[in-house]
Amino acid sequence: MNTRRRWLERGLRSTDVQEVLALVIMLVLIMLLMSQASNLFLTPRNLTNLLMDTTTVGIIAVFSTMLMISRGLDLSVAAAAAFCGILIGRMQETNGLWAGAVVAIGAGGLIGLINGFLVTYVGINPLITTLGMLSMLRGLAFVLSDGLTIPVFDLTGQRMDEYLAFAQLAEGRAAGIPYPILIMLGLFLIGLIVLRSTSYGRALYAIGGNEEASVLAGLSVKRYRMTAYILSGISAALAGILLTARLYAADPRAAPNIELTVITAVVLGGTSLSGGQGNLFGTLLGVLIIGALLNGLKLQSVSTEMQNIAQGLVLMLAVAIDQVRQGRVMFGLGTLRRWVQRKSTG
Amino acid sequence: MFNKRLLTVFLITAIVFGAFGALALRPAAVVAQDSCPTQKDSYVIGFANLTEDIDFTKLVREGMVSAAEAAGNVELILADNKLDGATALSNTENFITQGVDGIVHFQTDAAFGNVIMARSRAEGIPVIAIDIPMPGATFFGADNYYAGQLAGEALAAWVNENWGGQADAMLVLELPQSGPVPAARMQGMLESYQANVQTPVAEDQIYRLDSKNTQEESFRVVSDTLPAIPEDSKIVAITINDGTALGVIAAAEAAGRAENIIVVGQNADTSGQEEMIKPNSRYLGATAYFPEKYGDKIIPAMIDILECRPVPPSIFVDHIFISKDNVCDFYPDNWPEFCGGAEATPESGG
Repeated sequence: MNTRRRWLERGLRSTDVQEVLALVIMLVLIMLLMSQASNLFLTPRNLTNLLMDTTTVGIIAVFSTMLMISRGLDLSVAAAAAFCGILIGRMQETNGLWAGAVVAIGAGGLIGLINGFLVTYVGINPLITTLGMLSMLRGLAFVLSDGLTIPVFDLTGQRMDEYLAFAQLAEGRAAGIPYPILIMLGLFLIGLIVLRSTSYGRALYAIGGNEEASVLAGLSVKRYRMTAYILSGISAALAGILLTARLYAADPRAAPNIELTVITAVVLGGTSLSGGQGNLFGTLLGVLIIGALLNGLKLQSVSTEMQNIAQGLVLMLAVAIDQVRQGRVMFGLGTLRRWVQRKSTG
Repeated sequence: MFNKRLLTVFLITAIVFGAFGALALRPAAVVAQDSCPTQKDSYVIGFANLTEDIDFTKLVREGMVSAAEAAGNVELILADNKLDGATALSNTENFITQGVDGIVHFQTDAAFGNVIMARSRAEGIPVIAIDIPMPGATFFGADNYYAGQLAGEALAAWVNENWGGQADAMLVLELPQSGPVPAARMQGMLESYQANVQTPVAEDQIYRLDSKNTQEESFRVVSDTLPAIPEDSKIVAITINDGTALGVIAAAEAAGRAENIIVVGQNADTSGQEEMIKPNSRYLGATAYFPEKYGDKIIPAMIDILECRPVPPSIFVDHIFISKDNVCDFYPDNWPEFCGGAEATPESGG
C-alpha cells in the first residue's frame, strides 16, 4: 500500500505528469466554458467535427514533436501537404489515385530527406532551410496546378471504384469514428511507444538535450535527426493525402499557415523549442485544446480576428511556458519574488 | 310563402356550398403545408464569407447582416471560409450542427462545391452560392461578361465623343491566374469596346499585360510597355479592377503621357471613386458590383426557397457603370464635397 502511494506521489511530482495534468485541466476548463456558451458543443456531431478539424494538424504534430525533441524544426509541412496533394491530382488520370498517393508519400520522404540533409550535413539553420523549402514547395504546387485547384473526380466514369475507395480514406468510419481521427490517434499511439520504449526515441531525447554528449556517447546524431526530418515530411504527405480525399480536390493553397498551429500545439504540449524535452500525450492535448478553442469560438460566431487573437495568445502562452520551463524568465520571476519578500518582511 | 321557400332553398344551397368549400379548402391547406416542409415563422441562415481580409467581402458581410435584420425573421450565423476549402467544409459541418435552415456560401473554388453540396444535400439544406457556382446551389453573383460590356461601351462612347472615334493602342490589364471569371470581364470590355467604337484598335496594337491584381505590378508592366507605343498615340486601357487602373494611370503620369490615356475598370470601390472625381481624371469610371447590396437579394431569395416559392437558378448583381457623372447618385456620403456642387472637369463625359 505504502509502495503504491509512494509511486503515485513520485509520479505526480514528475514534471511530465504535472504538465500533462495542467493541460488536462486546461482542456476540461475550455470544454466546460464552451459547453456553457453553446449546448451544441458537447454533442457527438460537434465533437466529431472538432476532431476532424484537428486531424491535419494532429497527424503532422506527432512527427513534429519527435523532430523538435531532437532540436529540429520543420516549417515546410503545410506546403509539403499541399504539394503532395497536387501530385495526386496530377497523377490521377495517368497513373491512378493510389499510385499518386504512393508517390506523394515518397515525395514527402524526399522533402524531409533534403531538409534533413541541409540541416544536419550542410549545417544550414533549420528555420532558414525549411522556410526556403516552404516557399519552393508552394511555388511548385502552383506551377504543377497552373494555380488552380484540381478536382479529384473520375471524368471517364471507368474507375469509379478506385475513386470511391480513395474518398473512403476521409469518409469511411469504424465503430462510428471517421478514419482520419483513427489514423491520427493511431499515429499518436505509435509515436508514444516509439518515444518511450525504443532506442530511437531515447536517442532523440538525448540528441536534443545535449548534442555533444550524444556524439561522445557514440550516437549517430546526424542519422537520427535526418530520420526525424524524413518522418516529418512523410507525415505532411499523409496529411495532404487525407485532405485531398476529404475535399475531393487538390488545392495548391491547402493547409494555409498550419505550420504555426502545429508548432503552437507541440510547444503548448510541453515540447521545448530548445529540444530534449517533450511528450506526445502533451502534444495531443495541445492539439485538442486549440481545436476545442477554435471550434467553440466558431460555434459562437466569434469573428476571425478574435479567433486569431485567441490562437496568438495560446501561442504566446505556450512559448512563455516553455521559457519558464527553461528558466529563462527567472529575472522576472526573481524580481517578483524579491518584491513579495520585501513587502512581507518590511 | 314563395319567399320562405326561396329563402330555404338559398340557405340549403349556401350550407351545401359552404360545406363543399370548407371540405375543398381544408385538404388544400394541408397540402400546401405538406408541400413546403421548410416553411417556418423564422429562419436560421448560415453565411460563410469568402474571407474577412478584404474590403469587398467585408461589405458583403455587412450587407448580409443588414438584410437579415431587415427581414425580421432571420437569425444569421456568421463564419469565415478564409479562402480555404477545408475551412469551407468545416463551416458547412458546423452550420449543420447548428441546425441552420439554409446556407449561403461564398467560398473560394468551384472544385470544393461537390463535397460541400454533398453534405448540405444529405441534410436537405438549400444553399445559395455567391460568385462561385456549386452543383445544386442557387447561384448569386456578378454577371462578369455584362459588367465588362458596360465599361467597354462607356469607354467607346467617350472615345467616339472626345478622340474622334479612334484610339491607337489598347492596354489590357488582365489576371490570367484567376481563370475564367476575370477573363469574362476582360472579354466583355474588349469586345464591347471594339463593337461600339467607330474605329476598333488593330489587333497588333492590343497589349495584353498580366496585372497580377496589384497596383504595383500594373504600374511596372505599363511602365515597361509604354516605350513600345509611339509618343503621341491615344491609348485606351481596360483593367481588371480599380487598383490595377490606378497603376496604369500612375505609370502614364510618370511617363508624362497621362493626357493621351483613358482608363476604365471594375468594382468602383472607394479608391476608384476618389480617382474618377479628380479634376481632369484619366479614370473614366468602373462597373460597380455593389457588394453591400448582395444581402438585399440573397436573404429574400433564401426565404423564397425555404417557403417554396420559385427562385431562378441564377440571380445576378445589378451592375451599373459608375463615373463622376453618377457617383453622387450612388455614393453621396463618400464624397460630400464633390457631391455638394463640384465643378465639371474640362472633358465632359470623361
